[in-house]
Formats: sequence, C-alpha cells, structure tokens
Amino acid sequence: MAKQFGVSDEALAGLNDPERFPFPPEEGVALRFADAMTHDPRGVDDDLFAELRRHWSEPQIVEIACVIGLFNYFNRFNNALHMEITLTDPEVLLHRVRQVAEAQAGVQELCERTVEILAQGRRYVRVGIYQRQGEMMVLRAYRGPLPPPGSFRVGERKVGTAGRTGATPPELAVPVGDRSGVQGVIEVESDRAATFGEEDRALVEAVAAILAPALAGPAA
Amino acid sequence: MGRISRLSPDQVAPEIKALYKQFLAERGNVPNMFRTVAHRPALLTTLQAHFREVMGPGTVPVPLKEMLAVRVSRLNDCDY
Repeated sequence: MAKQFGVSDEALAGLNDPERFPFPPEEGVALRFADAMTHDPRGVDDDLFAELRRHWSEPQIVEIACVIGLFNYFNRFNNALHMEITLTDPEVLLHRVRQVAEAQAGVQELCERTVEILAQGRRYVRVGIYQRQGEMMVLRAYRGPLPPPGSFRVGERKVGTAGRTGATPPELAVPVGDRSGVQGVIEVESDRAATFGEEDRALVEAVAAILAPALAGPAA
Repeated sequence: MGRISRLSPDQVAPEIKALYKQFLAERGNVPNMFRTVAHRPALLTTLQAHFREVMGPGTVPVPLKEMLAVRVSRLNDCDY
C-alpha cells in the first residue's frame, strides 16, 4: 500500500536499512524512533528524543508514536494468530488490467502496469512479461529479485503445461497468444505454496488474454 | 492457515458488511486481519475508525506514516 501513498521504490528499499539511506533528517529521526520504540521502548534515550523534538511538535510526536504503536499491535496480533497475507480478488485485478489496456497507453506501459498490479495484488515475489520478437522472448517488464532474467529463445523453456502449482517454488508460466501463435509469456512466482493454485492460474491466463492483442502488435 | 476463522460478507452483521464494502471499494480487498476481528463487531468498528484516524491525513505527512508502518512491520518480521 505504501507506494500508493507516494513512497518511492528507493525509499521502500531503503527502509531495510534506514541508517544507510539518505532520508531527510526529520524522517530519519522518526525512523530511528520507530526502531527504538519497537525494540526497547524503555530504552528510548534522551538524545534521540531531543532530536525528535527538534523536528516535530508534541502533537506530531503523539501521532508518530501512535503509528508505531498501532503497527506493533497489528504485527503482534497477526504473527501470533498466523494471519495470512491478504490477496486482492482476481476480478478486481482483472478490472484494473482491463482499464490499463483500454487506455491504450502503449505496450510498454501496459506490461509495466500489469506486472505491478499482479505483484502487489497477489504478493508474487517475481513477475515477468515477455514479448515475442522473432525467435526470441524478450523481457518487457519485471518485478522481483535482481538482476532480472534475460531473454530466451522461443521453445527453449516450456510454458503452459510446465506451469507448476503446488510445487516448490510455486510458479506459473502462461503463454500469451491466439490462433496465430504465441506472442509472449507471463511468468509468476509465489512464496506461498499453500495458497497458490488454480485461482492464480485462472487469473494469469485471463491477464494473458487481455494482453494478447497488444503483445501481438509491433514490439517497439 | 490462520488460527482463527475469517468471516465472509454473508457471515457478518449489516453494519460490518457496509464496512467490508468500503474496504473493497477503496483497496480491492478486505484485509484478513479485519475479517478476523469481525468476530467482535464493536472491536472491528472502533479499530477501523482508529486505524483511519492514525494513518490518514493529520499533522504528519501520510507517506512518512506509511514508511514507519513498513519499517515496524519489517522489524517485527510481519509481511505488510
């Protein structure tokens, strides 16, 4: 959700190690306060608090502490009760992909937005969309561990029938195309073997059908 | 599997159903945590109101509040 509220990819990655990311001072001190309040609330020292005060008013500090406290509450509740991650309903995601396709913003943007919609909505750890160019499947959009995978030769990898569900790691490779041939491939991978299945397959196949006309067009 | 069942829209009282609808319209899903808390409707209603007030526009920029939420969730090893 954070991205929808204007947090950049870089900042999101920086949150893994805030000390090493150039957050502005007022954000940096709020994040250090979050660490201290989460790890050892009684150990929040006076120096840190004085710095927090330099940047934020009392009502603002109350609000910041409420955010940190609320998420500690949510996290503890969810972890102890083994809460499963919330996935977005496939129909909602298909609607979003259709909207992008109907806006006709171009194949590149369509691929990028689709990758984003799938990765966020289903919490896939890896999503890649390939477009066929001659005998090659060229990666058009990708979200997942870096470096991104390279292009591959048509027929080099099995798609469709090779898509595995219930396997480890749970992954799918769905061809994009129609009677005139395969125009591309959508690959997704999840880290949730228990909840990855037919619903995901149906979703990715439906997305492939939406993308087919665009991917069949010119590559550039 | 979650340790406590989650309530679907047809299992909840009308006022909670309306709350589910609001979530669906705004985010495309109803968080599993909220479906779970729905076992105690009064807690869900007040939790939702508090969540909105804490995370919505206030005196601190919303993006910073989102970053704090992400950071805390990562520290707690909780998927956000």
